[in-house]
Amino acid sequence: MCGFAGIARREPRGVAAGTLDRMAAALRHRGPDGCGRYAGPRVGLAHVRLSIIDVAGGAQPLGNEDGSVLIVYNGEVYNYLELREELIAAGHRFRTRSDTEVLVHGYEEWGAAMLNRLNGQFAFAIYDRRTESVFLARDRFGVRPLFYSIVRGDLVFASEAKALFASGEVEAAVDPVGVDQVFTFWAARPPRTVFRDVYSLEPGCFAVWQHGRLLPRRYYELDYPEAREESTDALPALDGLLGTGVALRLRSDVPVGGYLSGGLDSSIGCALAARASPYPLRTFSVTFDDPRLDEREFQLLVADQLHSHHFVQAIRPGDVAAVFPDVVWHAETPLVRTAPAPMYLLARLTRQHDIKVVLTGEGSDELFLGYDLFKETALRLFCLRQPQSRSRPRLFERLYPYLDPRGRRGDFWQRFFLDAGTPDDPLFSHLPRFQLTSWIKEFYAGDLRATLAATDPLADLRASLPSRFAAWSPLNRAAYLEMVTLLSPYLLAAQGDRMSLAHGVEGRFPFLDHRLFEFAARLPTGSKLRGFQEKAVLRRWARDQVPAQVRNRPKQPYRAPDIPAFFTPQPVEYVRELLDEASLANTGMFDPRAVAGLVRRCTAGAATGVRENQALVAIVSAQLWHRQFMNDMARGRLGPLPVPDVVLADGVAA
Amino acid sequence: MDEPTILNRTRAYVLDTFLYMRPGFDLGDRDRLLQKGVIDSMGVMELIGFLRSEFDVAVADEDITEQNLGTLADIARYVVSKRGNGGPTRG
Repeated sequence: MCGFAGIARREPRGVAAGTLDRMAAALRHRGPDGCGRYAGPRVGLAHVRLSIIDVAGGAQPLGNEDGSVLIVYNGEVYNYLELREELIAAGHRFRTRSDTEVLVHGYEEWGAAMLNRLNGQFAFAIYDRRTESVFLARDRFGVRPLFYSIVRGDLVFASEAKALFASGEVEAAVDPVGVDQVFTFWAARPPRTVFRDVYSLEPGCFAVWQHGRLLPRRYYELDYPEAREESTDALPALDGLLGTGVALRLRSDVPVGGYLSGGLDSSIGCALAARASPYPLRTFSVTFDDPRLDEREFQLLVADQLHSHHFVQAIRPGDVAAVFPDVVWHAETPLVRTAPAPMYLLARLTRQHDIKVVLTGEGSDELFLGYDLFKETALRLFCLRQPQSRSRPRLFERLYPYLDPRGRRGDFWQRFFLDAGTPDDPLFSHLPRFQLTSWIKEFYAGDLRATLAATDPLADLRASLPSRFAAWSPLNRAAYLEMVTLLSPYLLAAQGDRMSLAHGVEGRFPFLDHRLFEFAARLPTGSKLRGFQEKAVLRRWARDQVPAQVRNRPKQPYRAPDIPAFFTPQPVEYVRELLDEASLANTGMFDPRAVAGLVRRCTAGAATGVRENQALVAIVSAQLWHRQFMNDMARGRLGPLPVPDVVLADGVAA
Repeated sequence: MDEPTILNRTRAYVLDTFLYMRPGFDLGDRDRLLQKGVIDSMGVMELIGFLRSEFDVAVADEDITEQNLGTLADIARYVVSKRGNGGPTRG
């Protein structure tokens, strides 16, 4: 896993090596094992490397035989061995064993059509000197990031936005609409980001830059061609896909470990990895002092069964607050939960134990309808079909069992779901969550409120939906919305890629093998959500793989302490300072009087609901984000400049 | 304690507890607290704690309904009915 950056000029006026080195320095955490650059008259490329495959030969930028095609690449193409054979048969000559070189020759052979052949998680930039063009691409689900900005016809791109700002050619400024999206959906919706004029290449897209213009195109569409009945070979097919999905993700020249949450998905991944891995498996878990968040009992059960070397990152009082500024720096966005912080600490622990690749279970809940949101959608529809029923709404009391039971009963709990919207709204499934999150906006400063007066993030989302969306079942519509609003831009990004790569650890996602996604999308929704049993088909398959206690336990969402992380009961020092009137006035996003009220409630221990917890994390993180990017970045928050060990001149190693 | 007093005290509590971030919020006696986004189901639990400490009214589970607690006016009426002729309801 790696990081890359580059600049493509409309006019061939050169890209300074020092500029590229500053961009590389901003990404050094992603690739501490090596560094390379190419500085040409029109295009400059920088790369920082985490060596995983072909440790000796995979340095970048990497070119083809005559240096006319150059690549910088972050990610893994798991079927690279098969593609390599195909390309050799077509006459290509390889100099390395790396998957990087497969992309170079694959691009020469197939052009953009190569992308549909790749099974993997990737973002890359290819400079084609024959056409003076740059080809950017990103994997189907957005596991690996790619940001860009266009400044006076020059394209500036990088794995993280901070490298764009480090170039000195892109200014860090707030995009209020992007921030407003975070406070609606938990993340800005690609291509928009929280930074003005900085864009994220959408998952499943590529873009070609030439003559000072960038043309993005989609190569992969999410679709849900749901079958009426489960096919008789569904379980063997699932078995094959999970088995090969994990086996492909064990392709590595360094040992692969596993994140073990104690839930079904990570347990499946670790069980299959333990069986197939040539190394004894090392597993890594987070534990919490708070028993409502802690899953250690189940983690130990699985680790025991797998005989893994098990390592634990205990999250103690003070830990989340201590790392939160760094978490926001790496996440590059305001957040509404602190949940990325323990993942940041877990990655640090993982790296300390010499593991730089881990399998992890993200994606399964979206593919197999694991979240309570899907049950909630089904239940809301069930109730609205018979609005007079008194018994149906009582079923809402079975949702979200991890929340305070006092707040999960009665009229008010039921009306929260039933009044949120009507089934003819395309966003029906997500309206309760979007409305809950949007409560953060109550704290907006007057100016921000005025700036956003004409903005409607829900209308924008509705307008972006694909035409086939209406033909999908309500639960598949919900699954799609979950994929595009939460999984890609938040779970895989702020909580995923950015946290693990902060410590040079690469996450691999067996459930996000596109073949498995397509299999799950074809299943009848009844195979996935059966009554109140989520991930039904996966549980059936897991009968012989995972301990019964883990297989049969209800889904426990991963959460971390929010307000209690920052108030004990007084606010921790930096939070007190960030939330004082002067700091709030400086960033201009939140109303100081409103925030003072929230601080009073937090200090008194009265703010216990989801709304105020989200609001507090949102305000603290937004203040940190603003300070670190809009203020500190301008003053240059960079580590030492790396000394490149690969320097290409005109595409040939110097 | 009469109904207008209960209503005024409850309004002051709701403004201070749930609307501290919107000082200019115009909350009518018959505005629906849930639908206007003033209160959520956890907030209702806080409100119930207030009714107990302020008016000595214990709200039974089956009484946690929009009919009883949906608006400021509903709450005042409910509290009066539970207090009867001014006597406490805690049993």
